[in-house]
Amino acid sequence: MDLSFNYTLLAQIFHFVLLLVLLRLFAYKPLLKVLADRQKYVADNIAAAEQEKAEAQRLKERHDAELKRVQEQTQEIMQKAARSAEEQAQQIIESARLEAGRLKDSALAQIQREKEKAMAELRGEVASLSILIAGKIIGRQLDDAVQHRMVEDFIKEAGELH
Amino acid sequence: MAAAGFSIEKVEHELDIWGLPAHPVHLGDIGGFPIDVNPKTIVFTWVAMIIVLLLGVLAARGASVRRPTRMQSLFELMFDFLRGLINENMSPQKGNSIFTLIVTFFLFITTCNFLGLVPTLMAPTADHQTTFAFALITFFMMFWLGIKYKGPGYFKHYLKPFPFFLPITILEDLAKPLTLAFRLFGNMKGKEVMILALLGLITGVAEWGGGFLASVAWLGFGVFVSLIQAFVFTMLTIAYIGIAVADDH
Repeated sequence: MDLSFNYTLLAQIFHFVLLLVLLRLFAYKPLLKVLADRQKYVADNIAAAEQEKAEAQRLKERHDAELKRVQEQTQEIMQKAARSAEEQAQQIIESARLEAGRLKDSALAQIQREKEKAMAELRGEVASLSILIAGKIIGRQLDDAVQHRMVEDFIKEAGELH
Repeated sequence: MAAAGFSIEKVEHELDIWGLPAHPVHLGDIGGFPIDVNPKTIVFTWVAMIIVLLLGVLAARGASVRRPTRMQSLFELMFDFLRGLINENMSPQKGNSIFTLIVTFFLFITTCNFLGLVPTLMAPTADHQTTFAFALITFFMMFWLGIKYKGPGYFKHYLKPFPFFLPITILEDLAKPLTLAFRLFGNMKGKEVMILALLGLITGVAEWGGGFLASVAWLGFGVFVSLIQAFVFTMLTIAYIGIAVADDH
């Protein structure tokens, strides 16, 4: 086997350098640019995603706080409403009770008045009836003049009865 | 075998359908220096260069950030792989300066090696002049980058750990390109000779089975060897340059 050297060695070095230059120009440069671009693209996307995540976290916290606040407010409003409803109910009951008492009092007064009136009427009636009965019992023993006068009185009284 | 008059040269001659002379051709003299070249090596180097360039341009054309083409993905895979190897051996900043060299070594040597798998073609790397040319580039880069990053202090490493190791450290450095060149050349030449020898067996009926099957098996193995040797050359180039530019501890 011939292991001597000739110009081929230099030619091969030249070929390699030429290929390196050509590849660098037409293949590596565009490919490495794409790789760098992709790296940048991915990095940008990750950064954007992280930023969005932070933003989302911030929004979530805000919304949570808002929600909590609203819940507390709702609770408060409900309690207030319940309290005022109870008060109102108490008030209504109280006024109803007062009204009932008032009605009862006025009814009692009315009854009392009616009773007194009835008693007065009854007293009058009883008196006249008593006189009538008394007259009837004692009439025969009286003279005509007296009788007459008494009848007249009686009629008068009777007439006054109504 | 001997009875049939079997010889590698005969098979090689029969398979030479390109009419390229297998021996050096004298092109003339420049200043008394004879310009001889191996036409077969040169021509198939051109073929390999064209293939590599086409692949590279194909990968770069229509390269997109979001939707890589197949060839682009293949190149990116190789870039990532070699970038990883480089970064294991030196700082990324130093690695950047040899990245294109390493990628070109790997691509070109792989393509050259694969050419040898096609009968009638020849692997340019099966010529020792090609492998020595590559090894000399590595050798040169060792010194170039070593001096670039360390200045004249680069040569101090010949005196370490002890000055009287000087002959050994010099030999060690000289052995690097020598082993690089001969390893690749030996593997590729051996692979080629085996292909020829096995093809040569496919002539008689008796040898048909053995010759054909062995040839197919050997071609499969040849693909493996071609890739491995390209990788070994590339890896060792990275390692040697890595040692040359490494910061002293």
